[in-house]
Amino acid sequence: MSDLKNTIKIFHGPQHPGITGNMSVELDLLGETIKRAQTHVGYLHRGFEKLVERRTVVQAFTIVCRICVPEPDPNEENFARAVENLTGLEISEKAKYIRTMILEMQRLATQFLWMGGQAGSIGLGLIPQWSVCDRDYMLDLFEELTGGRVYHMYAFPGGVRRDIPDGFLDKLSDLMNYYEKRITVYNNTFFDNTIFKSRAIGVGVVNADEALKNGYVGQTLRACGIKRDVRRDMPYLKYDQLEFDIPTRTEGDVYARALVRRDEMLQSIRILRQIIKQMPKDGEILQKIPKHRKFKLPADDTYVQTESARGAMSYYMAGDGSEKIRRMQVRGPSLVHAYTLLEKLLVDSQLADVAMTMNSLGICPPEIER
Amino acid sequence: MAIDVKGVLSPLSAIGTLFEHPRTITYPEVKKEIPRGYRGFHINDLESCIGCANCQEVCMNEAIDMVHPDREYNPKNGSGCVPRIDYGRCCWCSLCTDVCPPSSLKLNNECIHADRDSNNFLYMPKNRKDIS
Repeated sequence: MSDLKNTIKIFHGPQHPGITGNMSVELDLLGETIKRAQTHVGYLHRGFEKLVERRTVVQAFTIVCRICVPEPDPNEENFARAVENLTGLEISEKAKYIRTMILEMQRLATQFLWMGGQAGSIGLGLIPQWSVCDRDYMLDLFEELTGGRVYHMYAFPGGVRRDIPDGFLDKLSDLMNYYEKRITVYNNTFFDNTIFKSRAIGVGVVNADEALKNGYVGQTLRACGIKRDVRRDMPYLKYDQLEFDIPTRTEGDVYARALVRRDEMLQSIRILRQIIKQMPKDGEILQKIPKHRKFKLPADDTYVQTESARGAMSYYMAGDGSEKIRRMQVRGPSLVHAYTLLEKLLVDSQLADVAMTMNSLGICPPEIER
Repeated sequence: MAIDVKGVLSPLSAIGTLFEHPRTITYPEVKKEIPRGYRGFHINDLESCIGCANCQEVCMNEAIDMVHPDREYNPKNGSGCVPRIDYGRCCWCSLCTDVCPPSSLKLNNECIHADRDSNNFLYMPKNRKDIS
């Protein structure tokens, strides 16, 4: 603590444009060098876990998508699958394919948004304009499929709420061709850009032992050489019948995490192309479920996991025989990355690297304060 | 230290986009086409609404009140009331339309509303006949 005598204290966030949401990092600076970092949350507390306990299963379903704004679908999927596990609901093959499709569409949309944040955090202003525009093409498809651009409220216990509109898969196929070309453009302008490389290589290094010990997930884990992905390790929906690779790197720094994300985008395109080919033409999309006051959860509990675009997202859910959820616990990637990891990574790094490091970890503040 | 020639030159390929068409549209002169299934404002078929208040019961935001309509309505409407939506509370989840037994309540793809009076966010769904 004696090192902190000559430091000055600044708050990075919650209004800072480089922060990944409504949270702040309290920094003790010696010149430009960070000597201590403390994460502060509480600007966005909405108490989702408690809200869910006061509502029926059907009513609670509309809340969970708000747990992570840029990435609602893994939450919807976890919620739906947890309720299905508890009540023994079986969903149709078609519904499984549609749910897998929307999860991969969401992964791509989230990675485009991340790319904008990551590039913007080091001053490459062009990339965010492009990537947000490219993400919007996916949002247009979400709008057509689910009726909403950001909050889809689509994966429902028992299946999905709507069937695929006519011509949707063709549009999705065209978009995949477009995205594949765009990733080459992003390679030239962003991933291979010497500015990004010189800023990101060797910064925010995480080692594999530490990552395993502290429960880091997603790209943070895969960028230090550990091949872990819920889609492969504990397959759900149709992932066991789809071919895809799990990209890894060994360097563990910000640049390695970015490259892992880029490679995952290509894998998502590959998965979506398989889904377009394999999608059943007919089939139930939603099983018959009881009316909302009669939709009761048995006195039992379950634990489900989904691989979100930022890492494993887990839900624990317990019922007590009533129409309300007794307890729901959300475990996303953000909490451990924002506290355990970020506070440690920032020590002895430069002030200008805070936003970049934070972006590379996939931190989503509403998920911390669920 | 070796210069990363590819890393310096490849970002310059972005100059090529100067010769592409803009991706943006000149709103409000050109309006974006809203897809058919978009979850926008409510519409209600007053001739088939039975006033059961299922929509009011399922709404967790308490955005729906059942009120007497100022227009002609279904003679089989048991309560004599139809839903009125408070768009200060509505989250457009569409659960109210899912539980509507005669499927009279729907979401339309109309979604733009601006007014100086906040009371105008209490919205009586348009009769489906009036807009089709």
